[in-house]
Amino acid sequence: MRKFMINVNGKSYEVEVEEIRDGVTAQQPAAAPVSPAAPKAEAPAQVAPKAEAPKAKPITAPAGAITVSAPMPGTILDVKVKEGDSVKKGDVLIILEAMKMENEIMAPQDGKVVSVAVSKGASVNSGDPMIVLQ
Amino acid sequence: MSNEDKLQELKSKKLKLKEGGGQARIDKQHASGKLTARERIDLLLDQGSFIEIDAFVQHRSVEFGMDKTEAPADGVVTGYGTVDGRPIYVFAQDFTVVGGSLGEMHAMKIAKVLDMAMKNGVPVIGINDSGGARIQEGVDALKGYGDIFLRNTMASGVIPQIAVIMGPCAGGAVYSPALMDFVFMVDKTSQMFITGPQVVQAVTGEAVTAEQLGGAMTHNSTSGVAHFMYGDEKSCIEGIRKLLSFLPSNNLEDVPWQECDDDLNRLVPDLNYIVPDNPNKPYDVKDIITAVIDDGDFFEVQPYYAQNMVVGFARMNGKTVGIVANQPKVMAGSLDINASDKAARFVRFCDAFNIPLITFTDVPGYLPGVDQEHGGVIRHGAKLLYAYSEATVPKINVILRKAYGGAYIAMSSRHLGADMVFAWPTAEIAVMGPDGAANIIFRKEIEASDNPVETREQKIEEYRSQFANPYKAAARGYVDDIIVPEETRPRLIAALEMLAGKREERPAKKHGNFPV
Repeated sequence: MRKFMINVNGKSYEVEVEEIRDGVTAQQPAAAPVSPAAPKAEAPAQVAPKAEAPKAKPITAPAGAITVSAPMPGTILDVKVKEGDSVKKGDVLIILEAMKMENEIMAPQDGKVVSVAVSKGASVNSGDPMIVLQ
Repeated sequence: MSNEDKLQELKSKKLKLKEGGGQARIDKQHASGKLTARERIDLLLDQGSFIEIDAFVQHRSVEFGMDKTEAPADGVVTGYGTVDGRPIYVFAQDFTVVGGSLGEMHAMKIAKVLDMAMKNGVPVIGINDSGGARIQEGVDALKGYGDIFLRNTMASGVIPQIAVIMGPCAGGAVYSPALMDFVFMVDKTSQMFITGPQVVQAVTGEAVTAEQLGGAMTHNSTSGVAHFMYGDEKSCIEGIRKLLSFLPSNNLEDVPWQECDDDLNRLVPDLNYIVPDNPNKPYDVKDIITAVIDDGDFFEVQPYYAQNMVVGFARMNGKTVGIVANQPKVMAGSLDINASDKAARFVRFCDAFNIPLITFTDVPGYLPGVDQEHGGVIRHGAKLLYAYSEATVPKINVILRKAYGGAYIAMSSRHLGADMVFAWPTAEIAVMGPDGAANIIFRKEIEASDNPVETREQKIEEYRSQFANPYKAAARGYVDDIIVPEETRPRLIAALEMLAGKREERPAKKHGNFPV
């Protein structure tokens, strides 16, 4: 753990930074801001898997794949497909409850479901990837 | 020289002009899936009706070897003719002649056509297929663009102006189509952009193809720059002719009238059950539109852009109407930046050309979100309010289901000057939806309850039965009548006839400050 003083717009922040080796840390990552307005110290991605409500997890889209993203913020009411399913253009993939409506999210084209990034009950923001088709 | 020689000379000159850039370049144009300027005009206009003007115009540029460059008709074919017997002005850039590039005289020809179209109250169609400004002509080419933009702006709201992109349209050239009323594009063979892929790559490092950057689908679905997209030039031209059939020739004319075989008193019993019992279930509003209008013939504008809002032309008892409708099937039919923008522009077009507006309302509200707020949904949403408020054409609203909050006001409400507001019995006209309203109004009761969940459900139901209906609004006269859905067509036609002589004045002013 090393300490740094960081100067942002004339305000000083004391920041502790820990180096990760082989994905292992000596202790829980801690960014200790001295001021409440401290800039968010980017927490190392691998160390803190959040145990909260399932959020859209990062998915990698292979080349030529199509990502179906959430058109608006809402809650996943139902996921109608699973990985490996073949879908036709217009098939309902997901029911997204948003704006007092059970919105049917449909396949933009024929393809195979490569990955499903959301599960029932998850909340999504507009633009969050939900399903990857290929 | 005898008269006979003079006739021969004229004939051979005209023949030469007709060949444009020569057979080799014409073949190349065909090979890339494109027609020539003259072929396009022939397809567009009624057979044999085209009269060319200014074919003998020549450029007067001498720099960079231009004095030796021959450019038949200076790269643009202009003139007039008829579509379905009605007069039309047209200009079509000829890509086979110096790449259809725009120079001083080329622009002068276009400007002349625009002037004549405006003076005579006739629609103008511009077919764009040009490499851009003729660099050799320098600032004279820029002058040319400016002259065209000024005339496009002057003609806006006077005559319908239709831009057709059938090839490249890059740089300043894109702004003439943008100033016109409708932009048609052809898939795969037309592109529009301010700066091309090479410049984008050089400046921002983004690698993008011309098609991704400014192809037909991009502008029809993502940017909203274009209004119509077709798979090939022939069907595109059919589309233009179809659009023209709905439009009056100028702002002083009434909408065209066609013989109507569809019974004006036709009832549509299916409409009584088309809105699902569960207010959270979507349906396709286009099913309602096509059921109500003449012969189900709906000509949708911008079908790929902001699909949560449906706009387009149709006929009621043979006369053109503009339809604006929320689409519950897409994004719950909520209003967002793009939907407001799309509908506002359409409403203004209809108002400018005396086309009555029919609105079908089923809107849960404005779409929440940081991107919406930061994107300026306040000022974009204001466009819709402004457009409906300033419109003086007959405005009829049919509230199908949800009409909540600010979105209720925006969607052609009585308060923005709607002449006739109908509601279906399924309408829910209220300040907000039952769930949200119950949480606020009955918060104390819900908190104090032993079983908050159950109390909340009860209160939501209480609110729904008391307020989520059309009767509160009808009690105030905000809704003129609650109608049986199957009677929608006869009721709309009766209202349109009643409103046909509508006269409404606005205060004299230079122009309003539209929230662009």
